[in-house]
Amino acid sequence: QSTQTNMSGLKLSGDKPIQIESDKLEVRQDENLAIFTGNVSVVQGPTLLKAGILKVYYLKDQAAGKDGSKSAAMAGPALGGSTNIDHLEVDGTVYLKSDDQVATGDRGTFDMKSQVLVLTGSKVVLSQGDNILTGCKLTVQMKSGLANVDGCSKGGSGRVMMSISPDSAKKP
Amino acid sequence: MLARTTDPEGKDDIVVAPKRGEIPSERAVAFDNAQRHSRRVRFLKLALPTLAAIIAIAFPVYSYLKTPPAVPVQADGSAFSNGKLVMANPKLEGFTKQNLPYSMKALRAIQDVSKESIIGLEGIDAKLPLDKDTSATVGASQGVYNRDANTLELAKDITMTTTSGMVVKLKSAFLDMAKGNMKTNDPVDIVTRGSHIQSDSMSVEDGGKVLVFEKRVRVNLEPGALKTASDKSGEPNAAQ
Repeated sequence: QSTQTNMSGLKLSGDKPIQIESDKLEVRQDENLAIFTGNVSVVQGPTLLKAGILKVYYLKDQAAGKDGSKSAAMAGPALGGSTNIDHLEVDGTVYLKSDDQVATGDRGTFDMKSQVLVLTGSKVVLSQGDNILTGCKLTVQMKSGLANVDGCSKGGSGRVMMSISPDSAKKP
Repeated sequence: MLARTTDPEGKDDIVVAPKRGEIPSERAVAFDNAQRHSRRVRFLKLALPTLAAIIAIAFPVYSYLKTPPAVPVQADGSAFSNGKLVMANPKLEGFTKQNLPYSMKALRAIQDVSKESIIGLEGIDAKLPLDKDTSATVGASQGVYNRDANTLELAKDITMTTTSGMVVKLKSAFLDMAKGNMKTNDPVDIVTRGSHIQSDSMSVEDGGKVLVFEKRVRVNLEPGALKTASDKSGEPNAAQ
């Protein structure tokens, strides 16, 4: 069973600068992979993402970078060359906040192409102000801002718990 | 050991020996001695010159092979001052394990006579291959090169630019020229197209394939850098 709500805030867009901070960063040129570990925080405009580990996968087919030189692409990841990101993976208790909406979970992936964010975990909580939605899987379509929370079918009752506080009901 | 002249009459007999040839058996003995002697002479006439020739050839070949492949250090001029050898514009080249060329030039090299393998360098300009496509040029004001370990330790501000457009600024660096690795425990500032990385320590491992930044890593990705795949395909990114 799943419930949909609107979460326009949660977004990682390509046209705004992003600051990433962490204790450690390992860039693997061959695997086009950059791994941030140790209280990672990603800030882009109003959106804040906190996690234990952030893995950034770059597009493989960057062999012939737009400037043609293979080496530029090879140094790709966070180091020069085209940095087209394929997808991000976050792990180790994820906290995602944007404007007044907060989502938390154990793990998450964010696919840049389809602009879909998926947060999973034993207890995924999506809250906006006083309204709280808990379930096992949160899927947010960044483009449309549509958020979809699925219940935990395996364990629990498979139902999504949703509590809407009276005063917020009045707002449009 | 001069060969004895084969004198048939045996005039150079030994004073003590009885006059040869009186008793028939003695004549036979003398004949055998002479025969053995001449055989020995015939052998030595051949053996000694060839032995000399062999030695003459073996010695230079042996000594050529034995000399250590000294790293060719050319220097324009060198002077000797207070126990230190000072070389001007030293230049040094070699190959890393992955058989990639590295080279190092400096304004001045100072070598303490007692510690022959340690060379103090000033005004360093080194070229370090990262992989077969990319190489890095490292400039530093001061450094110490260890000839045996083939490592270069740099101090004060160092700038490293790679052919892939990466500019690295460091406070100190330890370069292992043979393996193509680098390590520093001081703040690092890296600017590349589209991203800016800062951290308090960094190491380049596996010949430049793996870069590890540690202690307060801060990364800024400029907008242009993070072109999402979708942008490329023309779909507008959903406005906030």
